[in-house]
Amino acid sequence: MVTMIAASLLHVLPSTKLLSRHFHTSSPPNTATIIPRRDISISVRPRADDTPLQSEQQKQMDLSVLRFTLGIPGLDESYLPRYLGIGFGSLILLNHFLDPSPPTPPQIISEVLGIFLAAFSVMLPFIGKFLKGTSLVDRSLLPEGNKQIFIMSENLSDILREDLAWESFIMLRNTNTMSVLISVQDVLCVRGYWNAPEDASKHVILDWFVRQIQRIGLSDLRNELYFPQSTDELWPILPRGTTTVLLQPISGISDQNYSETEKLNGFILLVSSASYAYSDKDREWTKAIARKFHVHFS
Amino acid sequence: MKMIPSSGVFLFLSVDSPCSPSFSIVHFLASFSSQSRADILGIALAVTNILAGLVWLSIKPKILSPEILYGVECKQLSPQLSDFTASELLWVWNSLLEATCCKSLVVVYGNKCLLQIGVAAESRGDVVPVLVQKLSQGSLYKNAMKVGKQNYLANLSLYPGRVELSFLPSNTQSVILQPIGDMGIVIIGGDTVRGFTNLDQTWISSLADKLDATLSKTLM
Repeated sequence: MVTMIAASLLHVLPSTKLLSRHFHTSSPPNTATIIPRRDISISVRPRADDTPLQSEQQKQMDLSVLRFTLGIPGLDESYLPRYLGIGFGSLILLNHFLDPSPPTPPQIISEVLGIFLAAFSVMLPFIGKFLKGTSLVDRSLLPEGNKQIFIMSENLSDILREDLAWESFIMLRNTNTMSVLISVQDVLCVRGYWNAPEDASKHVILDWFVRQIQRIGLSDLRNELYFPQSTDELWPILPRGTTTVLLQPISGISDQNYSETEKLNGFILLVSSASYAYSDKDREWTKAIARKFHVHFS
Repeated sequence: MKMIPSSGVFLFLSVDSPCSPSFSIVHFLASFSSQSRADILGIALAVTNILAGLVWLSIKPKILSPEILYGVECKQLSPQLSDFTASELLWVWNSLLEATCCKSLVVVYGNKCLLQIGVAAESRGDVVPVLVQKLSQGSLYKNAMKVGKQNYLANLSLYPGRVELSFLPSNTQSVILQPIGDMGIVIIGGDTVRGFTNLDQTWISSLADKLDATLSKTLM
């Protein structure tokens, strides 16, 4: 009887169609040859010989894809192991306490093992959040103690003003950012939630930011700084509840359209209340925004 | 007694009793010893954990390698553009080139091709130009402009409409068609299937809004 049930449970294991073409266990990504870019037109005719890659992929172990679903709308199947762990763990305890005869040592061993497996099942959804590719960003609420501000230096051209407004807006919208500070040459743009002086005028707040920047020496930085788990005690300029800080200098970003001598002093400072808020992709796009200032000041 | 398979667990239905058929699973389980029940529950939990691991493996996408696109490098800017507008367009190109798998970019605005840059299709040694009239009559362009939203063709080889994008390299892997307001479109060719992420798509949409603001002021 036990054998039949175990065999029936094994029916749930990979009996579905193998989707070997799309999934594999592990293999390092193969990199393609990069064509060197030139200013003149060139003809590119690579060899279409990728048979070694195909044979290597075929040799890799194929694992079946099992997408178990109850088909209940609104039910998150990623929490199914937790529900099963709680259910089966409860049954193990029930079996232990409702049994009229005293438990034998092998039974106790089985029950202890079952409880451990049940506990592991309950933790599986939590462990699954740390899978590679899953976002670790905790989109927590905005911390208190900050004030929402949007100020820019005066005497800016309309184009620069619009660009600063757009750039600060998309950094707030497209990334997990609560505060943006853009400093280029003598121009400053501060947007988002900051711990600025209370009841101060726009000029006072701007002066305060300028002094803080000079005191810390942020304009002199040449390399990107990324602190995925920081606090607002890192720099006094940071708002309360700061957890991630990304500082992207504007100078030193190579751009083939602009000469190396055209160096701009400045940076983009992004602050988030979540840890590990900026992925590699976010940082690439932040560099792209930093490059835009060469358009204005070239 | 009937045996009915249900998700791999056989349920025994009692059809002998005068009452309506009822699950005898309690009797079924009661026939085991306490040890056997504990073993069965342990096996069930072990299977649950194994299946969860298999599901995790299944959601790991295959890393696809970028293809080398067949074509010719080109950089064709419309001569009517001001220096600022040209710089803006080149900045968009550089941003896409550095941050995404983009290898080809075409910007069409106001029924004119403002920019064709990157790897383009080749015809007898020359770059295949963008025929705006022909492009605007194609279904891909019309659908994108009609909906007004980005259209992402993650695996271009699956789409018959790819013949409308003859100016892109023949082995372009993925394409994004992003409308620029009501007046234009950005066509971005990538070298990797499903190479553009959700974040890339969001940024491309933002770039298109910026281009719309810039081009509408400078060209209209």
